[in-house]
Amino acid sequence: MTLFTIDNVRKTFTNGEVKEEILKGVNLTLKEGELTALVGASGSGKSTLLTIAAGLQSASDGKILFEGGNLTEMNGDQVRKIRASKFGFVFQFAHLVPFLTVEEQLLLMLDVSESKINKTEQKRGIDNILTLVGMDHRKHAYPSTLSGGEKQRVAIARAIIHKPKVLFADEPTASLDSTKSRDVMTLLRDLTKSLNLTTLMVTHDEEILSNADRIIKMSDGLVLGR
Amino acid sequence: MNMAWKEMKKNKMRFMILGSIVFLVSLLTFIISGLANGLSQDNAALIKDLPDGQFYMSTEAEQTINLSKIDTDVQGKLLNKHKEAVAFSIQMGFLNDEDEKQQSVAFVTSTESQLFENVQKGEVVLDQSMQDKGIQVGDSLTSNQYSGKFIVKGFSDQKKFSHAPVAFINTEDYREMYRATEMQLIFVPGKDSPDAAKELEVFTKKEFLNTISSYKAEQTSLNMIVWFLVVISGMLFGIFFYLMNVQKMGLYGILKAIGVKTRTLFKMMWTQMIFITGMALMISITLSQVLNMLAPKDMPFHLTLETTRQLSIVFFMIGFIGSTISGIQIKKVEPLHAIQRGEV
Repeated sequence: MTLFTIDNVRKTFTNGEVKEEILKGVNLTLKEGELTALVGASGSGKSTLLTIAAGLQSASDGKILFEGGNLTEMNGDQVRKIRASKFGFVFQFAHLVPFLTVEEQLLLMLDVSESKINKTEQKRGIDNILTLVGMDHRKHAYPSTLSGGEKQRVAIARAIIHKPKVLFADEPTASLDSTKSRDVMTLLRDLTKSLNLTTLMVTHDEEILSNADRIIKMSDGLVLGR
Repeated sequence: MNMAWKEMKKNKMRFMILGSIVFLVSLLTFIISGLANGLSQDNAALIKDLPDGQFYMSTEAEQTINLSKIDTDVQGKLLNKHKEAVAFSIQMGFLNDEDEKQQSVAFVTSTESQLFENVQKGEVVLDQSMQDKGIQVGDSLTSNQYSGKFIVKGFSDQKKFSHAPVAFINTEDYREMYRATEMQLIFVPGKDSPDAAKELEVFTKKEFLNTISSYKAEQTSLNMIVWFLVVISGMLFGIFFYLMNVQKMGLYGILKAIGVKTRTLFKMMWTQMIFITGMALMISITLSQVLNMLAPKDMPFHLTLETTRQLSIVFFMIGFIGSTISGIQIKKVEPLHAIQRGEV
């Protein structure tokens, strides 16, 4: 079932008198339980497309349709609420809060998403997710004591703890070695299936593409093929 | 989740350094303020402890107490009109104790009033501090300007003028000593509008205090130090949180990206500011009040709880302003830039 639609999205940057069109009318649909990989050379517009879809920057034109609303027509706070409750994010770097333990990173996300579940259920949910990402043994550890792969697993756990509908992953394996990259990718694919997530991932890494259900190739601001 | 507390717990040293600096600055502020207040009491307790009201001085004196001479008719009219009013004079001078040791005093005489000590001819009532110098009730004191002897009838608490203990004497004795038939000043208690009289200049208590030589200069310089310290503490907060925020820009961007409200980030900073200021003030207030109790009698230190409360409020306000100004960067940070910038 289609959950997310990118309809004729354009993005133009103006630098002085020079206008540069990064996205030239992109159309894309994302389906529930499907992991879609966006690939393409540097400057092809894939990261720009992901950040626009995730509500992290605005489009110059076009629509981002999600659950009956158009993100491009919403104000900043409406988009923030959707980001907090319906979207999950995994970035190239884990970007964990340095003064929070692994467990607290997830509690923070539950707070931000204004989750209505009680503390006992929150704790149980955190334990389940940490078990799912294989980090239950590091629940009380601070980020400074974790390896790169462990941090990224915690970042994934933080991205899904509030049960988002859409997971955006921007180069999630770029800072990891090949073994850890494969582990993280397998984890993302398994979570997409088991939690019925709609995952959009940007990557350069061709080795991990086998985990994707769909591969969308972009070039020069346009979708070339799928 | 209380992120502010979690951060302080994890980075104890960083916040303790700021707290220590705020503590030292606030303690210094309280001490200087206590000294300013103490010196102010030492300089003008006689006037400061009077109720609110209007002070009258002759216009010709041009705001110099020593030169003021109020016409006896004018004085009579004013005292008749206001039954609680009092005419009084102050002159600096010396008393010699029984060991011929000279003591600097401010001689004060007044018409009959409950606001001043009323003494008979040949008697003197001294400020309490003279008792600490060995003078006792019944002692005979002399003055080079006075033919007779003054018998000490008692002591009065906290009566100082121009850093000298006050000696209340009878008007007749005062006239003999200073060959003055007129009083210098009239005080009318109460907050009524002043009586307009061509020969008289009228002052509020605050204005009158500033006519006392050295009072204004002394208080202005000490208060300037106090306010300078308050501003320094505000700048400390501003600079500290600015540096902290610069370091945390990436983190703020990521938190914004995952949906944390900008307001939440400001609340986090304000909570830290309030906690640090509160802790620092608690310690500095305790120490300054201990000093207030233990300070030697010779040390003019007087720190009231009201002054402490007011300064504490100012510290919180200035801390809030300093941290908020530096926190404007939080509002400006773009999640996208933080994500693109790399690891926080």
